[in-house]
Amino acid sequence: MAAMFSQNPLMNGPNYSFNQAPSTSSGGNKEHAFYPYTDNGGSTLAISGSDFTIIAGDTRSTSGYSINTRFQPKVFKIGGTTSAQDDATLVLSVVGFAADGEALKERLDTIVKMYRYQHGKPMSVKACAQRLSTILYGKRFFPYYVTAILGGLDEEGKGAIYSYDPVGSYEREQCRAAGAAASLIMPFLDNQVNFKNQYMPGSGVGHELQEREKIPLKINEVEDLVKDAFDSAVERHIEVGDGLQMFVITKSGIEVIYKALKKD
Amino acid sequence: MNHLPQAWGRPRDDVYGPYDSSYLQSNQSHGPTQHTQSPVVTGTSVIALKFKDGVVIAADNLASYGSLARFTDVKRLRKFAGTSIVGFGGDVSDMQYLDRLLNSLDIEEAYSTAGHTLNAKNLHTFLSKVLYKRRTDFNPLWNQVLVAGLDDDSKPFLASADLLGTTFSAPSLATGFGAHLAQPLLRKVAGDEEAAAKLTKEQAIEAVKESMKVLFYRDARSLDKYSIAVITKDGIELKEDEKLENQSWAFADQIRGYGTQIN
Amino acid sequence: MPGFDFSNHTRNAALHARGVPLPKATSTGTTIVGCIFDGGVVNCEKLHYIAPQIWCAGAGTAADTEFTTALISSELELHSLSTGRKPRVVTCMTMLKQHLFRYQGHIGAYLVVAGVDPTGVGLFTVHAHGSTDKLPYVTMGSGSLAAMSVFETQWKSKMTEQEAVTLASNAIQAGIFNDLGSGSNVDVAIITKDKTTLKRGYVKPNERSKKQKSYVFKRGTTAVLNEKIITKEEISKYVTVHELGSGEATVGEKMDIDV
Repeated sequence: MAAMFSQNPLMNGPNYSFNQAPSTSSGGNKEHAFYPYTDNGGSTLAISGSDFTIIAGDTRSTSGYSINTRFQPKVFKIGGTTSAQDDATLVLSVVGFAADGEALKERLDTIVKMYRYQHGKPMSVKACAQRLSTILYGKRFFPYYVTAILGGLDEEGKGAIYSYDPVGSYEREQCRAAGAAASLIMPFLDNQVNFKNQYMPGSGVGHELQEREKIPLKINEVEDLVKDAFDSAVERHIEVGDGLQMFVITKSGIEVIYKALKKD
Repeated sequence: MNHLPQAWGRPRDDVYGPYDSSYLQSNQSHGPTQHTQSPVVTGTSVIALKFKDGVVIAADNLASYGSLARFTDVKRLRKFAGTSIVGFGGDVSDMQYLDRLLNSLDIEEAYSTAGHTLNAKNLHTFLSKVLYKRRTDFNPLWNQVLVAGLDDDSKPFLASADLLGTTFSAPSLATGFGAHLAQPLLRKVAGDEEAAAKLTKEQAIEAVKESMKVLFYRDARSLDKYSIAVITKDGIELKEDEKLENQSWAFADQIRGYGTQIN
Repeated sequence: MPGFDFSNHTRNAALHARGVPLPKATSTGTTIVGCIFDGGVVNCEKLHYIAPQIWCAGAGTAADTEFTTALISSELELHSLSTGRKPRVVTCMTMLKQHLFRYQGHIGAYLVVAGVDPTGVGLFTVHAHGSTDKLPYVTMGSGSLAAMSVFETQWKSKMTEQEAVTLASNAIQAGIFNDLGSGSNVDVAIITKDKTTLKRGYVKPNERSKKQKSYVFKRGTTAVLNEKIITKEEISKYVTVHELGSGEATVGEKMDIDV
């Protein structure tokens, strides 16, 4: 208890709630070194269903308060046999530092293409997911500054989504939002996809109340959910906007849908 | 006796005394290899706009040394293989290095047996990979470049690449100060690809010249002498000694001081 | 004691030296512009009242623009009462710059001052450090470059009121669409010697699109672990209860100004 009132406010003394470690070392001249990263903003979102996966991303690219371009895709088909990627089965989304995202996409695409040539069949999402993790961890001490989401259909034909952190930690999930507006979109998804914090009215009292039953969403419902999520993110996050690309993965292939978002 | 591997095969300190490294100059005392960490002589904005059959690109002829207008006749638009133009913003020495690199690429490609020439899209891919590799080595080329020309389908192509390897493409692009001052004007004439595909060459040139004028009014590191190029499938028209015309100083006669002064 | 209270300064400096970061003030990403036309002046976005014929557009630290304009508005009214004359734009500008200069930029108010007084039309910018500028068209804030590019290409001397409003509105829209810091709508103040007209939402180019789905929850969706009902009779032991007439018309959105 005495430590609570010690002379060091950083370690254990009374602090501001938004306290953080000192960002500058005190004393001495600071040299401005080359910083090899930048943030190009934008957001991505993926939801898997019983027999489909949707991965979406906005198309705005930013630097600071400026818009680089209103159309730069963050979602890519991976591992098709041609540059057009018409016969691809996997989709990768990358958000964060766009140059790293591009480099990561190219590397993964090359690897998945090589696999296809050597084995005569497309790579499974599960295998590709593990490989992507290895690639990211390979640059553990100079990371690709991106949040990646990989999507496709698993061996049983069910929708599959794998989400990553910049250094390769990954997990299969039902849905995931990433990028600038992730913190705005993710709680909405928890509530609307997994029905978190929703209970069946009149099903009990207090702790006996039953959770709302989880019903897999239909493809058009998910498309609507994605559009609404992005429209809301655009209202409250300046780095999200201009356009929305939705990649809809089903057993009949990958359909790309473009919808306009607000440009302000 | 020193058994450490570093000492193997070296004259023994206890016999010959320690090695006198005083004659070795900077490298030892200054630690690891040093790289360019900031630009020195710099060029300001490059601006470009697509139209229905090509691209217009412009940059002024100034190379600044800090706030000094050091070189007033530096050409920052570079032709490549008669198919494309690269516009350079940022460090001029790095621009000249890239110029030399592109010369050797051009020669290599011309002598190769492939029998094709590199278009603007290929060139942009090449430059962005060079820039990204150099940033990854912590030895950046301090430039932002615009590459203008045609793509594989002979459609107008315009894209940007910078010192971090960041790339993007749009109907209109501007680097440096131009991103803030010229881009709003260019986006008004070509907000999207459809609008750009309707622009005539004359309209595009007009919009670019107007933007160069605004940049000269408001960018203190700019010049009224500039280069402008038009790239279409018929080739490149590059003019390197243009002068800004029809400047408007109509507001000037109304200015009286900065506050309470009257006449 | 008038003015600012500095009693926490030493403590805060000590905390800061130990690495506690300063609390962040809200900064307004903004495009603000002003433009003179024949017989008046227009002024766009984030408006503050100074006097009936003098208005200020503010960028920078939101609280600073708010309190500085309110303070100067008050002082200017007292000044006007004691001199028995209408307040002048130059007076307002001078008071603002002297106030801001004294605080050496620590008051982060960046203002466009516009108005009409008996000497004519006035249009100024005032920076946080106290410097001022006097031009027929001015811009400030994060979208100032985008807005200025429009003025530099489209401005001409001797404009009508409508021309000036359109031009200023176009300048603001350049900020809206090209600068991420700037908002979605255009507000305009048109000041002539006879009257001031405020148009909030002069242009609204960015209305939100309709939602695809309905997000109405069934009553009872949210879990309730326990509930306690406090009756009006119980609560009136501690506070005074007033009955409000039901069905009163709700007040619509009001102009965001400090009158």
